[in-house]
Amino acid sequence: MEGNIESLVGALSLVGYGLGAIGPGIGIGIVAGNAITAMARQPEMQGTIRTTMFLGIALTEALALIGFVLFFIASAG
Amino acid sequence: MATSECDVVNEVICAPANVNELFEFPTIFTIGGLEFSRTHILMLLAAFVTVAILYYGLRGQRLVPTKFGAAVEGMVDFVKDGIARDVIGPEGTKYVPYLMAMFFFLLVGNLFEITPLINFPITSRMAIPAFLALTTYVIFMFLGFAKNNFRYLIDTAWPKTVPIGLRWLVGLIEVFSIFILRPITLAVRLFANMVAGHLMLTLLLTSGLIFVAAIPEIGVKGTIGVFWFGLGLFMFLLEILIGVLQAYIFTLLTAIYIESSIHFEH
Amino acid sequence: MQLLTALAVLATEEGAESGGGLSLILPPTSELIAGIIAFLIVFWFVGRRAMPMINRTLEARQQAITGQLSEAEEAKREAESLLADYRAQLADAKTEGNRIIEEARASGEQLKADIVARAEEEAASTLAKARDEAQSEKSRALAEARREVGEISVGLAERIVGGSLDGKMQQDLIDRYLADLEKL
Repeated sequence: MEGNIESLVGALSLVGYGLGAIGPGIGIGIVAGNAITAMARQPEMQGTIRTTMFLGIALTEALALIGFVLFFIASAG
Repeated sequence: MATSECDVVNEVICAPANVNELFEFPTIFTIGGLEFSRTHILMLLAAFVTVAILYYGLRGQRLVPTKFGAAVEGMVDFVKDGIARDVIGPEGTKYVPYLMAMFFFLLVGNLFEITPLINFPITSRMAIPAFLALTTYVIFMFLGFAKNNFRYLIDTAWPKTVPIGLRWLVGLIEVFSIFILRPITLAVRLFANMVAGHLMLTLLLTSGLIFVAAIPEIGVKGTIGVFWFGLGLFMFLLEILIGVLQAYIFTLLTAIYIESSIHFEH
Repeated sequence: MQLLTALAVLATEEGAESGGGLSLILPPTSELIAGIIAFLIVFWFVGRRAMPMINRTLEARQQAITGQLSEAEEAKREAESLLADYRAQLADAKTEGNRIIEEARASGEQLKADIVARAEEEAASTLAKARDEAQSEKSRALAEARREVGEISVGLAERIVGGSLDGKMQQDLIDRYLADLEKL
């Protein structure tokens, strides 16, 4: 830890992952929130909405997961 | 994580010198140059536990199921009706065995994380998520090309329903997301969730115990262990939810991907 | 912060010693083999054993429910026919009762008429008998009286005449007398 360049690289990749997780975090919030609104408006469409919501979350989450993989790749240096 | 390695005087939490220590176990035996450890045994154990659960939950032609049988049947119906039929439709019957095997195997694998004496989610090793995601990828790619020939690729890359100005961009994103991102994210989502969960649980609970045990040595600072341990217990409950949810999401996304290949229209 | 750096250190140190942080993300061959075998065991069991078990249970349950439904249908039909029977019997009983009441009424009526008729008849016969008796009494009394009047008259006449008349003459005399008397 004492001026170790490798630990700096590791910390930076961690920060990078944290930054990368912000967008998906907001995005998933929006997706889930709107899905709840839609379910409240049309409870009979619940199944379809839930499926679409998970698809949307999966797509949004992709960025965070790429970040996760990149964290490992980058910190491996 | 050995207690001796933990520097309770200078640190506020015990971290292993190498994160892989939490996920890799010493080799027990070697077959043909391949090293086998506790992980491999746990994987096979998970398979047998899954089979046992299904067998004892479903055996016999009971008209009135036992409590355990009713629970298993509830989950079976959940996969059969809630995932296969609702998402894929009537054609979904064909994929029920795959989806069901996947759901139950992942459920048991995930819940191994919080099972006493095992305490290790086998899905936090990339092998299982990667294999299942790859299988799903092969299935939905095969279906996509078998049912739509090369229109599957062409229509994805050049969607006719999108205004011409945006078409190339949407097509690019679609191709990237369907052909490359889908299998990777499918595998990494499960893997990352289980790795993070296992890491958090182990760090918090172990640190909690170590710090509380070290109170005579470090005094008031040791009470931080109570906080870590409490947080660990909360995470423990949360991990139950995450384990079930991740098994569900993995299965659901597999069904959604299969459906999108069967009913492909752009 | 210390946790973050600790994690970062873990990632890098591990990278340094085992040739890449990717080792956590890339599956070793042995684990891949174990994982595939484990999944295939589950998949085989689900496909070959669990699905038939599920279908059998569903079928058995379906049959049981259909059986129960048809049984219930049967029972319902039976109950309905029984109800119809009872209804018919009840109606029969009602008409029977009505008939009996009517009969009773009719016979009562008949009896009443009979009794009245008999009483009237009896009364009439009694009356007639009484009348006859009175008549016969009257005629007897009359004959008695006639005889006695004759005797007395004869006695009287004997006493007056002083001789006695023989019976036959006597009687003729009386009859003549009486006839005269009646003519009067």
